[in-house]
Amino acid sequence: MAKQEVVAMILAGGQGSRLGILTQYVAKPAVPFGSRYRIIDFPLSNCTNSGIEAVGVLTQYQPLELNQYMGNGHSWDLDRNTGGLAILPPFQRSGRSDWYKGTANAIYQNIYYIDRYNPKYVLILSGDHIYKMNYGKMLSFHVEKEADCTIAVIEVPWEEASRFGIMNTDEDARITEFVEKPPEPKSRLASMGIYIFNWPVLKEKLIADEQNPDSDNDFGKNIIPAMLAEEQKLYAYTFADYWRDVGTIFSLWDANMDLIRDPQEIDLSDDRWRIYGRTPVQPSHYISTSGEVVNSVITDGCKIYGRLENSVLAASCYVGEGAVVKDSVLMPGAVVEAGAYVEKAIIGLHGVVGRGAEMRPATDFGSQEYVNKLCSEGISVLQSNTELKAGAKVGGNSMLVSDANVQEALVIAHQPGTLLY
Amino acid sequence: MFIDAMGLILADHTRANLGDLEEPRSLAAVPFAGRYRIIDFTLSSLVNSGVKNVGVVANHKYRSLMDHLGTGAYWDLDRMQQGLSILPPFLISHHQDEQEGDLVGLYDFVRDATQNYVVICESNQVMNIDFGPYVQAAKASGAKMTILYNQDGNKSGQPYFLLGLDEDNYVNDLFLSPRELPTTNTALGIMILERDFLIQHLELEVARGRNKLSVENLLRLYEEEQIFALEYSGMILRINSLATYFQASQRFLEMDIFDLFFNQEDRPIYTKVKNEAPAMYLTGNKVVNSLLSDGCSVAGEVKDSIIFRGVQVGRHAVLDNCIIGQDCVISEGAELSYVILDKDTVIRPGVKLVGQPDYPVVIGKGVIV
Repeated sequence: MAKQEVVAMILAGGQGSRLGILTQYVAKPAVPFGSRYRIIDFPLSNCTNSGIEAVGVLTQYQPLELNQYMGNGHSWDLDRNTGGLAILPPFQRSGRSDWYKGTANAIYQNIYYIDRYNPKYVLILSGDHIYKMNYGKMLSFHVEKEADCTIAVIEVPWEEASRFGIMNTDEDARITEFVEKPPEPKSRLASMGIYIFNWPVLKEKLIADEQNPDSDNDFGKNIIPAMLAEEQKLYAYTFADYWRDVGTIFSLWDANMDLIRDPQEIDLSDDRWRIYGRTPVQPSHYISTSGEVVNSVITDGCKIYGRLENSVLAASCYVGEGAVVKDSVLMPGAVVEAGAYVEKAIIGLHGVVGRGAEMRPATDFGSQEYVNKLCSEGISVLQSNTELKAGAKVGGNSMLVSDANVQEALVIAHQPGTLLY
Repeated sequence: MFIDAMGLILADHTRANLGDLEEPRSLAAVPFAGRYRIIDFTLSSLVNSGVKNVGVVANHKYRSLMDHLGTGAYWDLDRMQQGLSILPPFLISHHQDEQEGDLVGLYDFVRDATQNYVVICESNQVMNIDFGPYVQAAKASGAKMTILYNQDGNKSGQPYFLLGLDEDNYVNDLFLSPRELPTTNTALGIMILERDFLIQHLELEVARGRNKLSVENLLRLYEEEQIFALEYSGMILRINSLATYFQASQRFLEMDIFDLFFNQEDRPIYTKVKNEAPAMYLTGNKVVNSLLSDGCSVAGEVKDSIIFRGVQVGRHAVLDNCIIGQDCVISEGAELSYVILDKDTVIRPGVKLVGQPDYPVVIGKGVIV
């Protein structure tokens, strides 16, 4: 197989448990984001736009939707004769078989895949961040510093620094110390979970780490500290553009709202850095005579008969006459029926808000039976392929999920909707 | 969904004239309904009917058509065997006299196919048809040629062929745009031919030095060869002029018509993927009864209009009954009524343009007004 200078490995196997029912049946990278996209579109498009042509995607948790979405990588121009997209699930081998035990172990189990390209560098990415980044620039930095490993970092506000993995660096950006969630941070450079390694160095470290029975086989916890301990050359590459972690209900909602508050920040219409994705085969969207759209983002196949305000709608959403959708995120195929009121909500794929039903952020409104600690700031979530019954009233911070055991439940399950791409 | 037919799409039409919209491109490549080209409807219909071998016969200005079709991947026609073939004129350098080439390329393509029937579609119509039952009926009739028709009649002097039919529904007379209607049976640009017959026909046409395949030329054979007629009662919109283009487009604002084309389960309409950002509705916009597409950003008023991908509508701009092509810029305060803009057109601030329902103003590609 032809040599590739860089191979990218995207860690897409995590559950993303803080997203609750949104990741019940799909891996976090396959969660819809920003009207037209899935989260994985961002790292995949960044790879393509950075000129990286060999991309391995490590999957483990609920991979079906993600696998089907990525297909052969065609939508990201990754259907290459040389290189291209490879989906890498854990697999059975003669002797011992294992799930991916940690981020480092996942790469360890795919040493053979990487070796076949005989690359100089390996780029490790995670499949759960929203950003546009030219990995080529980071690689130039890595080469220039003659580093063994380069870690992308972003400046976070001092008061939030203790929530992140923080890199302490010298004046040449060389990493002197790495502290996970320091109570008293010495720096505010947070790791973005993006690493470039010289492949021979990483390979050796992965093999050594695998020998250690006490290791968590994790990049942040084990590999990076081990390399620092051996005084290898680790550098911090500062990234100063838009970057969001969308690991929680609030941060997912909030990053969607960024598209309305300040579309220039991520600038999805940048011709030189397109974010690619599987496109739904749907016609242009329609705003009817009774429809009204204020500060919102809409895509193909939507039909709007009601009022939208500060909302992000994915493909094929329907908002009925007299319905109001405010400060909300509608995932593909979501339906808000006539007269319904939806505020500060995330409606899952093919989720239906029945006629006249109400979802309001106030916590003293309507039913509080579904309040869930994963939800905050009054944001509620309706599970994919379910329906909030007509006339139902639900207060904020609710995780609306169908449960056959609940009598007189407000949420009923539907057959899964068709694929919308 | 197996169908014993190949498809041929004729990208040009001698009797259709879309003026400025057709000037830079084939009729088949004329943009339509917000994010499509006319050919998307024909091509998707063929593909959704199970046709896996499609030739697109292109004679003039076909660069944009080729750019649109690419490898055929968007229609799932990028195949090892068969798939999409673009058939440009078969020009030979020492053949200077026959500028349009001849039918040799097409002849070779049809001869090498494996299916027994050929569905021929012209490009002056927009449809979402399942061809399966029609190919079955054509086969059952035993006729070598079958034409589809409906009861549109001859409206407003459009160049339509009316069909005289005998009691067995075979064509026995042919009228082009007669002043008084002898019949309302109006031919569609869709024929189903036995492939062997088409090969034979093309062979003769090549020998005669002719260089065009069209439904019209085939229909004119009705005295020599039986042509069976099949009535089509579904929705089809004919596009032969700027006025009919405008009317056909506006019909997509009626949701029941829209759904006949776009909400047919298992029969989606495919088109080239552009990866535009989603549409942004900014403060001050007022959009009613309109279709808009990805990549648009709207701060002005839009009413009864169709807006293609990547259009910017500035503050206080007003669009009323307009069709705005891809990547156009409507600057602040511009007012357009009954206007068709081809792609990449810029309307400067405050410019006012007013057309009439039967006579929309048309601005060609890339013009700055």
